[in-house]
Amino acid sequence: MEKTISIDTVYVPSEEVVARQVGGEFVLVPISAGVGDFEDAVFTLNEEGKAIWDRMDGKRTLREIALDLGTEYDTPIEEIQRDVIGFTEELFRRRILHQIPRQE
Amino acid sequence: MNKDFISVQPISSFNAWEAMRKRRRLFSFTLELSARCNLNCRHCYLNVPENDLAAQDAELSFQEITALVDESSSLGALWALVTGGEPLLRHDFFDIYMYLKRKGMVISVFTNATLFTKEHVHLFTRYPPRDLDITVYGATKDTYERITRKSGSFEAFKEGIALLLENNIKFNLKAMALRSNIQELPQITALCREYSKAPFRFDPFLHLRFDRDHLRNQEIRNERLTPQEIGTLETLDSTRHTALKKECRRLQAQYPQERDCDHLFRCGTGRGSLAIGYDGWCRMCLSLCHPECIFDLRNHSLTDVWEGCIPQALTKRVQNQALLAQCRNCTFRYLCSWCPAQSYLEAGELDSLIPYLCDAAGKRSQSIMKDIPLPVSL
Repeated sequence: MEKTISIDTVYVPSEEVVARQVGGEFVLVPISAGVGDFEDAVFTLNEEGKAIWDRMDGKRTLREIALDLGTEYDTPIEEIQRDVIGFTEELFRRRILHQIPRQE
Repeated sequence: MNKDFISVQPISSFNAWEAMRKRRRLFSFTLELSARCNLNCRHCYLNVPENDLAAQDAELSFQEITALVDESSSLGALWALVTGGEPLLRHDFFDIYMYLKRKGMVISVFTNATLFTKEHVHLFTRYPPRDLDITVYGATKDTYERITRKSGSFEAFKEGIALLLENNIKFNLKAMALRSNIQELPQITALCREYSKAPFRFDPFLHLRFDRDHLRNQEIRNERLTPQEIGTLETLDSTRHTALKKECRRLQAQYPQERDCDHLFRCGTGRGSLAIGYDGWCRMCLSLCHPECIFDLRNHSLTDVWEGCIPQALTKRVQNQALLAQCRNCTFRYLCSWCPAQSYLEAGELDSLIPYLCDAAGKRSQSIMKDIPLPVSL
């Protein structure tokens, strides 16, 4: 199920994943079968990954998330956009993120 | 931006475990849902009949359990072991299991597999536990039911296993090595290896009962294998033999740092995990039920217990000089199952010598440690 990530689309965390702080790490724990591609693994996000994740609120597109991050990081906006898309691809492929219609 | 946004970590080697252990953070807990069991195994340290009303009344309610899970989660716990008695006897097992899942807990379940229904299969298919551990008591009806003392239990066990196999649910099989099934242990091993690809293991060390029931404790003693038999069984199991030898080498390397320590608790108890008893008593580990090491969660918060009561208990020192003198210099110590919990169950004190365990360590070492050099300081 290869699907291209669109920068003008809204992505949200799956309800089948629990995001938690554990031992100083930000951890995503898949709770149901087929979510996350490893049966026996958790996912940890670094600070920047968490910054993207926290902005996936069901309202903002990836472009808006990248713009917002651009105000915090001293990185060219094109590079931030590529990073946000790459991050989303990784988690979408593992069904940790879903695409939803934009809510006006 | 640091581009390593995501890392995938196997749970057993999760980065944070070691850091949490060093900082004494709670990372796992045992949740004992009930002391009741539908079987009546001869060797069991806990079980009471499934219709025991007093035990049922003492059980934590669903609301109490969810509050404790919330608190465990706030303390950082990531891993929950659900056990009993037989945990599937709880009518609210599904709700408790899903509550743990929705809190982001990695779950292990210990069960006898005799109560599985299609609903359990559906639950475990959609929301798999990390581990589903099932104990096998015998490979034939006669042996299985000699131990469980429940007619029809072998058939129920086989049906439970069949349900799991039909639905491709992963599970681990393990056995207790007992007087009542030792003659069948090769067949039990073969059966386990046929049904499950996970490594098979057996445990020959039987705990005495938490309720200190004399008659039941005598039954448990009667089920114990001799130290010689335990040593022989381990020699015959080449996988276990190799793993034990490797672990002995690892532990020997730690020996110089431990030699002069007189702390009572030199295991990991109370350092990263705890056990929540079915009746709301918190234990530092599943087996430790000494009155000074258990804490009433109906009168203390779990946070108070974890941050106050348990650290206090961990300061206990060995008072029995004979134990210090004998164990500190014992060359079999790496193969010894002695611990304060066992000591209390056997002798009513936390620091008593247990001759059976000394003998067992000696016999096990004859094969396992024979080509491992002794520490230089001995």
